[in-house]
Amino acid sequence: MEKIELNNTLPKVFAGRDALPSDVWQCDLTMERGQHYLIVAESGTGKSSLCAYLYGYRVDYSGTMRFDGRDIRSLSVVEWCQVRQRNIAYLPQELRLFPELTAMENVQLKNRLTSHKSEREILDWFDALGIPDKVNSPVAKLSIGQQQRVAIIRTLCQPADFILLDEPVSHLDETNNRIVANLVMAEATRMGASIIATSVGNHLQLNQSIVKSL
Amino acid sequence: MLWRLLRTHISASQLIGFSLANLVGLTIVILAVQFYRDVQPVFDDEESFIRKDYLVITRNVTSAGAMMGGTSEFSDQDIADIEAQPWCRAVGRFTSSEFSINATVGLGNSGRAMRSQFFFESIPTDFIDVADAEWSFDPSHPEVPVIVSRDYLSLYNFGFAATQGLPRISEGQVGMIPLSFTFTGNGRNEVMPGRIVGFSNRLNTVIVPDEFMHWANDRYGEGNITRPLRLIIEVNSPGDVAIEDYMAQHHYDVAGDKMNSSKANYFLTVIVSIVIAVGVVISLLSFFVLMLSIYLLLQKNTRKLQDLLLLGYSPAQVARPYMLLVLAINAAVLVLAIVLMLLARLWYMPMLHAFGVSGASVVLAIAVGLVIMTLITAGNLLAIRRKVASLWLQ
Repeated sequence: MEKIELNNTLPKVFAGRDALPSDVWQCDLTMERGQHYLIVAESGTGKSSLCAYLYGYRVDYSGTMRFDGRDIRSLSVVEWCQVRQRNIAYLPQELRLFPELTAMENVQLKNRLTSHKSEREILDWFDALGIPDKVNSPVAKLSIGQQQRVAIIRTLCQPADFILLDEPVSHLDETNNRIVANLVMAEATRMGASIIATSVGNHLQLNQSIVKSL
Repeated sequence: MLWRLLRTHISASQLIGFSLANLVGLTIVILAVQFYRDVQPVFDDEESFIRKDYLVITRNVTSAGAMMGGTSEFSDQDIADIEAQPWCRAVGRFTSSEFSINATVGLGNSGRAMRSQFFFESIPTDFIDVADAEWSFDPSHPEVPVIVSRDYLSLYNFGFAATQGLPRISEGQVGMIPLSFTFTGNGRNEVMPGRIVGFSNRLNTVIVPDEFMHWANDRYGEGNITRPLRLIIEVNSPGDVAIEDYMAQHHYDVAGDKMNSSKANYFLTVIVSIVIAVGVVISLLSFFVLMLSIYLLLQKNTRKLQDLLLLGYSPAQVARPYMLLVLAINAAVLVLAIVLMLLARLWYMPMLHAFGVSGASVVLAIAVGLVIMTLITAGNLLAIRRKVASLWLQ
């Protein structure tokens, strides 16, 4: 997938509001593979909605979104599954980990589907993110910051053209922010993928990113 | 791992409840089908040479009627009236012999023989289903084929043979009995060999071919024209209530227990149908119990299922563990139901053996169980698929 286009898109809940001061809603926006985008927003401006639309599990918007020119409303369930396994890696804001499974099981649940990373590589990431001792801990026992790092590892366990991160570092300190940013950028560079990160305050420290405000 | 994730909230008690209910329902249905097929022959005493849709009727002879000079014969008008009934396909008249007959049953060279006054009746050949060669008469090679009441054989076997120290005779051996008839009348006295070709429960008489009867009445009879004392009627359905009403109204008797047997058969069918309906209802209810149980399970696991879909799992992959669960439960229920049915059959078959029933094949009952279970399973699987598909949009 080479580009994502938004044409005059607007969440239906915002309908009727005129002149939104936004670079995304009710605009023509094209995000291309290889470029990094930081979408800065205040709370309640629809950034999680944008992610949900791009990931195909919500359709309550007007206007058009396109993957490589194709209206994403026309994608079948099977095609969406392909997109989720191969084209767009997604980190939801609410993480959506399975608390009863261990950190490694959560990651493997994705990795088994894509066969993208070896166990060694995954363990290295746990190391790099400072949670090597949490590999076999149930996610329910981890702090929110630790859970966020497990979710990031899981997100990276798939091939992708776009890595969509919804507030990836909201619960991380400066140091870990930097580590996550470097790890994600290294992975994106390796795949030639684009990073699209949203943020309400604590921005993912991306180099050379195009900043858009919602 | 997927299974570990999705099995939470599975309620063992609900699934056991469903399994038991479905087991009971399915067992009732297939057992009823099997029992019906096993018991059916008891009511279905087919005679090889007279089809089951024939009735033999006589006029009811009452002492009052006899004193009033009432006749036991059927007039042409009576017959025409019967022929006009909607349930009647054809009417055949019994023709009586108009000459004197003596039968001799000799048993080999022992010199012992049983002699008796005898009589013959005949009915049109259309009503008899014996191979043509056996059921014919040729004056140039005279041999008289007869069909006799099965009671006569019983009378011989259990009355005569038992007390006289003679061997009992099976139906199969009857054709070999040396039998001869002496016909007297019209100034003649002639002896002819005879042969028993069959037995009947329904015809309390001795039947000979129509062509013999006409030939013999011409030869030995005095030329009197008699009207029939009995009629054989081909009917649409021997159990028809209209027939019974008609017979009662006209004081006609139906020979044998054909009508009762038909009625019993009819009630058997009704009862088995009711039992099967109850079984089907139980199965249907259990189907809904399982549906509810699965819906509840899917509802409780909605978030997990949606999370899995977000990871890129397809609805089919996510639904598969639940489908396998349903398949396993339903397959186990089917196998158990068949086992229970076979066990029940082992229990009741000895009782049926007393009626001379050897039992029908179990294939149909098992096929019925398989079909019902397939339908229930298909319904379950479809519901799971639809429910999971409905979780796609969040």
